Amino acid sequence: MHDLSAHAAPHHAPPQGFIRKYVFSVDHKVIGIQYTTLSLVAAFIGMALSWAMRIHLAWPNASIPFLGTLSPNGAPGGVPTPEYYLSLMTMHGTIMAFFVLTAAPMAGYGNFMLPIQVGAADMAFPRLNMASFWVTFIGFALACATFFIPDGPPLSGWTAYAPLSAVGPVAGPGQGWGQNLWGLSIVAFCVASLLGSLNFIVTTLDLRTKGMTLSRLPLSTWGWFINAWVGLLAFAVLLPTCLLLVLDRLGGTSFFIPAGLVVNDKLLPHSGGSPLLFQHLFWFFGHPEVYIIILPAFGIIAHIMPTFTRKPLVGGWKVITYAMIAIGALSFVVWGHHMFVSGMSPYMGMVFSVPTLIITIPSVIAVLVFAVSLYGANMRFTTPMLFCLGFISLFISGGIGGFFLAQPAVDSYLHATSFVVGHFHFTMGLSAIFATFAGFYYWFPKMWGRMMNETLGKVHFWLSFVLVYCVFMTMHLMGFTGAVRRYSAYVADFMVPQIPTNRFITVAALLLGATQFIFLFNAIWSRFKGPKAADNPWQATTLEWDTPSPPPFDNFGGRQITIYHGPMEYDGDASLMQTSPEKAIAGT
Amino acid sequence: MNFEPEGEAAMSSNQEPGMRSYVGIVIGLMIIVVIEVILTYQHLPTRTLLYSLLCLACVEAFVGIMYLMHVKYETPLLFWTIFPSTLFVLVLLNYIWPDAYRMARMSLVK
Amino acid sequence: MNQPILAIRTGHEGTGHEVLMERSPYAIDKKKLGMWIFIVSDACTFATFLFGYGYMRVGNQNWGTPFAFPTILNGILMTFVLLSSSLTMLAAVRATQAGQKASANKWLGATMLLGAIFAALHLREWFKLISEGWRLFYNPTGGAAQFGACFFSVTGLHLTHVVSGVIALAFIARGYNQGRYDESHVETAGLYWHFVDLVWMFVFPLMYLMNAQTK
Repeated sequence: MHDLSAHAAPHHAPPQGFIRKYVFSVDHKVIGIQYTTLSLVAAFIGMALSWAMRIHLAWPNASIPFLGTLSPNGAPGGVPTPEYYLSLMTMHGTIMAFFVLTAAPMAGYGNFMLPIQVGAADMAFPRLNMASFWVTFIGFALACATFFIPDGPPLSGWTAYAPLSAVGPVAGPGQGWGQNLWGLSIVAFCVASLLGSLNFIVTTLDLRTKGMTLSRLPLSTWGWFINAWVGLLAFAVLLPTCLLLVLDRLGGTSFFIPAGLVVNDKLLPHSGGSPLLFQHLFWFFGHPEVYIIILPAFGIIAHIMPTFTRKPLVGGWKVITYAMIAIGALSFVVWGHHMFVSGMSPYMGMVFSVPTLIITIPSVIAVLVFAVSLYGANMRFTTPMLFCLGFISLFISGGIGGFFLAQPAVDSYLHATSFVVGHFHFTMGLSAIFATFAGFYYWFPKMWGRMMNETLGKVHFWLSFVLVYCVFMTMHLMGFTGAVRRYSAYVADFMVPQIPTNRFITVAALLLGATQFIFLFNAIWSRFKGPKAADNPWQATTLEWDTPSPPPFDNFGGRQITIYHGPMEYDGDASLMQTSPEKAIAGT
Repeated sequence: MNFEPEGEAAMSSNQEPGMRSYVGIVIGLMIIVVIEVILTYQHLPTRTLLYSLLCLACVEAFVGIMYLMHVKYETPLLFWTIFPSTLFVLVLLNYIWPDAYRMARMSLVK
Repeated sequence: MNQPILAIRTGHEGTGHEVLMERSPYAIDKKKLGMWIFIVSDACTFATFLFGYGYMRVGNQNWGTPFAFPTILNGILMTFVLLSSSLTMLAAVRATQAGQKASANKWLGATMLLGAIFAALHLREWFKLISEGWRLFYNPTGGAAQFGACFFSVTGLHLTHVVSGVIALAFIARGYNQGRYDESHVETAGLYWHFVDLVWMFVFPLMYLMNAQTK
């Protein structure tokens, strides 16, 4: 009756040697750590870029340390030219959006935790997983390489709008090989992402251990699983978009370049292309991308909160999960709200505006579930919990800005102002990052077998929380006064009064950056010197806490894992592991 | 290593067609191709031809997926997973047409 | 539906541990499921290219329909070759399921041969067009330059898939003969092969027939 052949469990012997164990490893835990490390490096690079930008905005004639060495052409004497400022901005966005926000919460933690949380020994396709990481690494290397080529990085923004990005070196510094390398970097990232999504989906569906029905999946797993579907469909469209862009640049085609274009006094020979087509195709990916960034964050918060509120989330697993599914699906029908002022058909404005307002409903439901779940909680104010609370606050703040931007009439004014910058930093850069921090502090003991320092963690949280509001809420206000984004200088009269505000933001941003070194020190020091962690230091319930810290090579030592409960069996100080055969205490 | 749950083994022997049926299916697809070619030379208006060819191509794809790719003999859940998700993207990409037609109207090169 | 089934999972030192797992909701081998997920994404990728082609065509009034009947005939031949290869692929899968190694090798070889013939016919057509002056950026008939861009990029992507498929089938056949791969591997490869064929079912009418000279 039962077929004893391997249904799904991949089996491979433990690796020998440094290279197989830590470099070219097929172990999902190693790969997860590799992704997380890559994201950390990328985050500090992205942050450094933002410091350079911020210093220039506040003190336009200031010489920025190291910048003159990095690019004598782009920043003579350390003062960035307007073009180089745009290059810094482009790479800040690219590195942060792709290599930090898409990589860390999804590929980093997901790779480490998902197989363990479903009770598997590894991902469904371990070698594909290894390939995914190394292709991502190549993508990251290509992105970083743009800083070291003579012409510098591209200046077309992380959105790489055509025709600026498509016409080649005539458009400005960095638009030669800088943009080519950028395009190849993104193509690599797409491929890696697609393969990663494939792995996540098959693992979640096929490798669940006995008793782990879909209704008992941890909510972080649900987040990663739903996100994998969104990523699968979204990156599948970005890949051809970038290929078409590369063809325009290197193949002489004109997919995105219209006729009669004069760039830098030169009439280009192209004709017949459409810049709007690029925007449509890019944002078809680009909007789901921001939800690809936030969905794992929702999953992580939903997973962590019950541990420290000691009670299940309101509505159980279903409300949050259905909200995430709704957000994932709706994220595909709203992309035109990035294009309200692009010259796209005005009728499409309404077609996109209405779903954009509708998508706020499941988002609000999700955040309300988080907020209302605090009621009656037996709170444990650990660092991960603080970051969860911070997430709730930040996402509400950022989300409210979305209501303004969703309406074409209001967006006509606010588009391309700092308001938008404030909005997306709150939702993506801050909420998702806070969720990533929550995950980092929460799962650090499991990943490295040691506890992080709580005091340093709390200092990190409070300083960051206050400072991010200083930096990014102020940007909303600046946006109302008309501060234009992607401008490196204050050229118009009405922008001059914004300069003191700008300086305030810059000082806060630099302090915020300095604060992150507290986190970095804590992480590195604790990795080697932190107190040893127990199997389940947080008294949590899910499978990752049912195995040693860090887990053995095959996660559970080959023993049978049987699941009896959902992931939220918390009742005050009491909690029930998912593997515990005792009667449910919270009835989930 | 082959995974063969008891259900599928039973299903395969009952429902899966023999090789002759597959030959018939492929010949049927070839006939559809011939119909498409004949239609092409009927001097139809461009849009009519396009819609006809797309319809026939969809029929071919559906037959191919259900029979050649065996989806008819898999669990319904597989069909309901791959089809809606793919169709979702395909339907949404149609949002670009208003701007394509506007480009045509505004075109410098006629 | 949720009947757990037994599976072997090896622990340390290769010792086999039998563990119970939840049944896959799709009741298919995970390789097949993985291939289906890949097919979904690849279908979206091809769709994006084809929609881009459609946009270019609608937006450029001077598109033109330059393909004379010989090109269409070549296209019909290529279509029939690819459809036949799907048939031989099916035969190969059935042979592996029946454990008939020799027969499986024969049919796998036939599929690879037909795939190679498709590629050869395609490349011959490409070289002919290039010799007439067609490029990614140039249309020798004076119509929209986008024609070359769309044609070569769409058919080029498809051709890449065909060639990769032939190479993959070679590896699968070798692995099957060496006993490392079994019928599930061949079936998974078959899924990919049929997908490539089905994409052609769209590429041929949209790229060839819609651009046929019908005077």
